[in-house]
Amino acid sequence: MDIKLNNKIIIEVKNLTKSFNETMVLNDINFKLFEGETLAIIGASGSGKSVLLKNIIGLLSPDKGSIKINNVEMVDLKRSIKEKVLLDLGITFQHGALFDSLQNWENIVFKVKNKEKLTDKNAKELALSIIKRLGLNSEILDLYPSEISGGMQKRVAIARAICGNPKVLLFDEPTSGLDPVTGSLIDKLIKSAVKTVGGSAITITHDMASVCKVADKVILIDKQTISWSGTPKEMLKSDNAQIKDFIKSTNPKLFI
Amino acid sequence: MNLINSIFKICGTTGRKFLKFLSNVGHFFIFFITAIFWIFRPPWYFKKIFYQIIDIGYFSLPVVGLTTFFSGMVLALQTYNGFSELNNETTVARVVLTSITRELGPVLTGLMVAGRIGAKMAAEIATMRVTEQIDALGTLGTRPMQYLIAPKIIASLICIPVLVLLGNTIGILGGYVIAIFKLEFNPSIYLYATVEYLQWIDIIQGTVKAVLFGLIISMVSCYFGFNATKGAEGVGYATTASVVISSVMILTSTYIITALFFG
Repeated sequence: MDIKLNNKIIIEVKNLTKSFNETMVLNDINFKLFEGETLAIIGASGSGKSVLLKNIIGLLSPDKGSIKINNVEMVDLKRSIKEKVLLDLGITFQHGALFDSLQNWENIVFKVKNKEKLTDKNAKELALSIIKRLGLNSEILDLYPSEISGGMQKRVAIARAICGNPKVLLFDEPTSGLDPVTGSLIDKLIKSAVKTVGGSAITITHDMASVCKVADKVILIDKQTISWSGTPKEMLKSDNAQIKDFIKSTNPKLFI
Repeated sequence: MNLINSIFKICGTTGRKFLKFLSNVGHFFIFFITAIFWIFRPPWYFKKIFYQIIDIGYFSLPVVGLTTFFSGMVLALQTYNGFSELNNETTVARVVLTSITRELGPVLTGLMVAGRIGAKMAAEIATMRVTEQIDALGTLGTRPMQYLIAPKIIASLICIPVLVLLGNTIGILGGYVIAIFKLEFNPSIYLYATVEYLQWIDIIQGTVKAVLFGLIISMVSCYFGFNATKGAEGVGYATTASVVISSVMILTSTYIITALFFG
């Protein structure tokens, strides 16, 4: 099942297999992400969703298979070329992964400041313009990540990911640990960020309300492989036991 | 049969541990070469190097100064007591000078810095590793070895020799204070003896040790931090291992260098 908003393939994963020692985590994973599309990856904790994301961004190497980003084969690619490809991606990690030793504004503009050689003043203004979109107060800019709440840290991490308007956004559980209002704000932001730049996104989540709001396509990872895929509407009607369990937990009908 | 099984079991365990040790040595060697490569490759993060110099050099000075000052004092006192027949200005001055510049200054500075800075480096990098900050760095167009590790190594190589030279001076001053104010030696004669016995070879040897200790402390600490796993426990392990292994390597290498220079 492929819902093509546009024919251009942004990310293509083929026959991806990954094991740690003797334990197989992912087996024969196949999917495509098209331009302008948001893909939600769902699955139980420990099902390998984050491992899949780490394979896509090159932090882990698959045992087998192919990963193409913008038609560039990432597996076994020369490091310097891989870094250039990754510069066009905006990534948030599960726990934020903000740099403790840098103020929040420095975290937000980290990539863009180095890339475009911005002055501190211009960089700070850029950071301010981004955090306003995320409903954050300008006072947090001069604070360190440890001085703000977990929810704010999450939003600063998202600000860092969308800074510079990357065409591909990858979110690892962007709304986990956030209150419903902030979670909803993040969902809107993901949607608008994808729409504004005409980009594509992959979001890993357990939040079915979030899936229904942001995703064009959903895949479920279970028992090391993609056990179900479809649109959010198909997901709501699905007979898959695990999908039903997920839906029961958050009743996303209330949110769409 | 049981005995043979036990022997096989012991051999197996020993062999596995030995292979693990060899594998760790190999990993460290690769890390060492990679780090050296990144030290020489631009761009250099001068702001980060400057902050590290302040942290390693300036903030370590009090602890290094205190340690070497009191060591110089103890040395002067013990030399006076131990060589009671020869308790003149020149003997005490010579023993204090030689011991401090050749051994105590570099070794005590190295051990103090390993405890203060090595632990800090390992804990900082290990925390960054287990909280995915190092992974994030890589995805933001910055190479972790160049951004995190190289500034720490460069700053250590600059600061530790300077700290050793300052520590030596403070240690000799400690000996002077005891010699003049407690043992009531003649200040002029004591100072003259100190300067007369000061040899370039001692300073060079101390500096060589300092550079090597700088390399040992920064490389070992960064290696354990960079390869940390298993969350908070991993951070603790990295910190302990970096201090213990740095200290053992400092004490081992000081003997080798002394043997090379004076053996």
